[in-house]
Amino acid sequence: MAPQLVRTLSAQFTDTFLKRSESSLNSMVDLRCISKYPWRFGEVNFKQPTWRYWGEEKCPGAIYTVYLKKVRYHSPSKSIINVSGGESDDDISHLEWETVRVRFIKAGSLEKLVGSLASEVGELESTYVNVFLATYRTFASPKQVLNLLLERYDELRNPNSPMREAMRDQNRKTLRQSIHVWLDQYPEDFQEPPNYPCLTQLESFTSRVMPDSELDQKVHRKGDLIRRSAKGGPHCSNAAGSTLKCSPLINQLLSTSTMPTAPEFNVKSPPSASNGKGYHHPQYHYTNLIPSRHPSAGNLTTTNHGIIPPYSDFLEIPETIFAQQLTRMDYELFKRVIPHQCLGSVWSRRDKGRDRDCVSVVATVEQFNAVCYRVISAILMEPEAKSSARAKIISKWVDIAQELRVLKNFSSLKAIISGLQTNPVYRLKKAWSHLPRDKLETFEELARIFSEDNNALAQRELLVREGTARFADTVGENDHHLQKVLQKHSENSRAISYGTIPYLGTFLTDLTMIDTAIPDTTEGLINFDKRRKEFEVLAQIKLLQGAAKAYHIDGQPRFSQWWDSVLVLDEREAFELSCQIEPNLNSGISGGGSAASKDNKYKRKANSLGGFHRKNDSIASTGSSSASSQLTGEHAEQQPSMCQSASSSDILSQSDPMPDHQQSRNGARSKSHSALSSASSNSSLPSMDASLASSGNNTTSKSEPLGASTPLKGSSASTKSLGDHGSESKATSRSMSKTSVASSGSATDSPYRTSEFYIIRVSIEEAGPETEGVIMYKSIMIGNHEKTKEVIRSAMMKHGLEGSPENYTLSQVLPDKELLIPEKANVYYAISTQHDLNFTLREKSEDLNTVGGTVSRDSLGLGGEGTPRGSRRPPRDNSKARRKLLGLVL
Amino acid sequence: MSQNGLPDQRYRLVVLGDGGVGKSALTLQYVQRNFLEYHDPTIEDAYIQRTTIDGQPCLLNILDTAGQAEFTAMREQYMRGGEGFIICYSIADKHSFLEAEEYRKLILKVRADDKVPVILVGNKIDLEDQRRVSTEDGAALANKFNCKFIETSAADRRHVDEAFQILVREIRNHQQGDDQTKEHEISRWKKLWSSIVKKTKRKRRH
Repeated sequence: MAPQLVRTLSAQFTDTFLKRSESSLNSMVDLRCISKYPWRFGEVNFKQPTWRYWGEEKCPGAIYTVYLKKVRYHSPSKSIINVSGGESDDDISHLEWETVRVRFIKAGSLEKLVGSLASEVGELESTYVNVFLATYRTFASPKQVLNLLLERYDELRNPNSPMREAMRDQNRKTLRQSIHVWLDQYPEDFQEPPNYPCLTQLESFTSRVMPDSELDQKVHRKGDLIRRSAKGGPHCSNAAGSTLKCSPLINQLLSTSTMPTAPEFNVKSPPSASNGKGYHHPQYHYTNLIPSRHPSAGNLTTTNHGIIPPYSDFLEIPETIFAQQLTRMDYELFKRVIPHQCLGSVWSRRDKGRDRDCVSVVATVEQFNAVCYRVISAILMEPEAKSSARAKIISKWVDIAQELRVLKNFSSLKAIISGLQTNPVYRLKKAWSHLPRDKLETFEELARIFSEDNNALAQRELLVREGTARFADTVGENDHHLQKVLQKHSENSRAISYGTIPYLGTFLTDLTMIDTAIPDTTEGLINFDKRRKEFEVLAQIKLLQGAAKAYHIDGQPRFSQWWDSVLVLDEREAFELSCQIEPNLNSGISGGGSAASKDNKYKRKANSLGGFHRKNDSIASTGSSSASSQLTGEHAEQQPSMCQSASSSDILSQSDPMPDHQQSRNGARSKSHSALSSASSNSSLPSMDASLASSGNNTTSKSEPLGASTPLKGSSASTKSLGDHGSESKATSRSMSKTSVASSGSATDSPYRTSEFYIIRVSIEEAGPETEGVIMYKSIMIGNHEKTKEVIRSAMMKHGLEGSPENYTLSQVLPDKELLIPEKANVYYAISTQHDLNFTLREKSEDLNTVGGTVSRDSLGLGGEGTPRGSRRPPRDNSKARRKLLGLVL
Repeated sequence: MSQNGLPDQRYRLVVLGDGGVGKSALTLQYVQRNFLEYHDPTIEDAYIQRTTIDGQPCLLNILDTAGQAEFTAMREQYMRGGEGFIICYSIADKHSFLEAEEYRKLILKVRADDKVPVILVGNKIDLEDQRRVSTEDGAALANKFNCKFIETSAADRRHVDEAFQILVREIRNHQQGDDQTKEHEISRWKKLWSSIVKKTKRKRRH
């Protein structure tokens, strides 16, 4: 099936291409030759009736495959005959067909392979030239090939050669043509600064042998360009630009991955209550594959300051603009992809640290991942948000994806679909359940494109059909939503034609597999059939690159600034945040009615308590905290947990390679920190209960060993609660109370501590029956002059308690005991910063100093390793809550 | 995954492993069967293998995204689909061995089911002289994973079929065991429940 597809593809491409290349000045020799000999494109089609396999022919240094080809001669068309003379068909005799012997080199020595550039009659084998030039780097260096070409040329100039003069002429012409093609298509082969040995050799050769010939002029012209482009001139030619190193845009794109150099812009004032989307942060990072070597890259973005303010919010960006801008970025990268860098022997066998060999591919992969992580981050970034708000963000991404489908940008489309399917997002059942039905269908429709079934057949067929079509028009039977969208588009802007940006990964897998499946050599000779097979894939990439030229999208600084400034979570952060948003109730179930009703129940209860936080008093807590971890320039992966990676302002000032203006904003940052931590001041259920809840749920669906279910268990010795569910108050599922002391290291690595003040979390010990084990934390900020009374007062205010502060005591909850803060102390100095800043507010009345793990957590033998601090909650409440949970579950 | 009209059991296997461990070779060796026959890895049924294991015919759909490892966000997507996993490392590459553990962890995260069938495969035993990971280490890791383990050579085609067969057996066991464990779990919960009730009662009495 696939070979036919490839051929159809090539035929289609070539048609479109020929039309285009007539107007463009680009030399498209390879594409023309494909249309001339579509059957020779890559592997020979054995099934074609006019071809017959004859056998193999061997000669020293080469093996040929020989075919007999039936060439049919068409009679002149009837209409012409009728018009011209009215004679009957039979009166004209002509040769109907004849059989021609055709041979292809199957394997050979390098000399033979270079020699095969010319056919037996000395003509240029145009397909062969393209296959050879696209793939020769896998078996020879440019220098070797150039030497052989030039040697052969010299031989052919020798009048004493046994070859006829005309034949020698023809052969020389063929060699010159080959060099033309080489220079046009692969100028990067000559990009060998500082000495340019190949280029120099070629220049001196043409000057000597054929001065002022067409080729000589070209060599010198190209040579100048190549040398100039290496100096990093901004106006390098398109051809030389393919080396990627000098492209300002890619620099700009890549600069976003080089953290210290990328400038910080648009630090906004804290979002207003109405605009609570606070995940907007000045820095981000993603795994940086390309070593930073663009020290000047930042300039571009700083100059864009002003005039139109960048988008401040994801939802604010129209999805069409978003999709177009993504496509623009992808296109800039895709057109620079050097197809032979995708070859299995280059890409999949590359050593770590040799990324330079396939930098153009790496850049594409990075962009893909950047999109993915932005999808994930945008959805998770506001742990406070309601599921419906989160659904809105998901829905927005689906809209963008749909636009990308129309634009035929399969790279970013797949990135978004993948992002939505990554674990941290996919597992958010509640958010997904709020997604409108039609969006969900659209999402499924789009996801079908990338089904892995049958070796990604759906995607391949789509590429064949739409690869060079002007616009998206392939609608499957079930793709109702795409139909609608296309209809809408056809009414508006059908006149616009789009290119295609493929998902590169499928090609990379194909090439890796081809490289594995087919040996490099047969009988000691270079296996050229393998290269033909590889060229099938490379040619598809090339053709799509050509087709992609149909995109004409202008950059939008507003967008790119937003893009660069968005905070991106890494995998671990994303997962942990996701678990806080919707604690692990196991993938199998939830989402269903029971869970939802449970939620509502608790929501009502929580509301009646009136103690839960509203969204507007919090700003994307984890968001800003990990933002600052980015600022420290560290990869958050190295840090034990998300919360730990969050940093305080003293860390900020420590991290030195930071732009000045960033440091000057530390003050502002500290403020946002306080906001941050108040955000995290929500209620948290004892982790034990949650682990019960979650594992309890398991039984209803899938077998799950007790306790192994909470994701926190394994990885999260140090997971802290950010208490992110406030506004939703899903009491049942709130499991993320802080689970360990592991994170309580030095004072600097806690998110809750900054230099001039601490953020502490205060829970309240109440005997009231309505709390039922729900522990609510409120974060309050304490400065270095606040006395116990003041702190208690503000804690009481936060908790909505009335009465006199004198009636309460404040104790810090330590791993093994509680530390009572003396009544007249300066709290700032009284607390133990060796440990987490969790506090309990307690009414004075009776035995205030009951301390210790009275809780029945251990009696259950469950979640024991979870919470070392049982003392925080009254045992009675605990068991009640547990029973309740179990009752719901069992 | 099963399709109507097909009597065969259909299993979707996912091959995981660091780049350069020879996982693509392992996959291809298995689906290629007859070496003389040219195998085109780009065709639609390139990774579908019909075979009979323990007398039962089955259709294996093998997903190997070799070359796409750098597209990190997609791994989880692949993991969601598989019924069984081959985690592959190279005995000549310590790093790939360490990565194997990461893959296992990721599967656990995505599937939230520590019983999902997995086989750990140490490939490249043809490179015995370059061995960096001992058989014992491999077995120990498999033990830790609570999964089967085998060393293979895709290049010499040693134990390739076995690796796949073992995995299919694991999947079958897993699927059969499913119902039993479910009941087992429920009874465990009942026990737990009653113990809680008892304890709370006791407390009230106090």
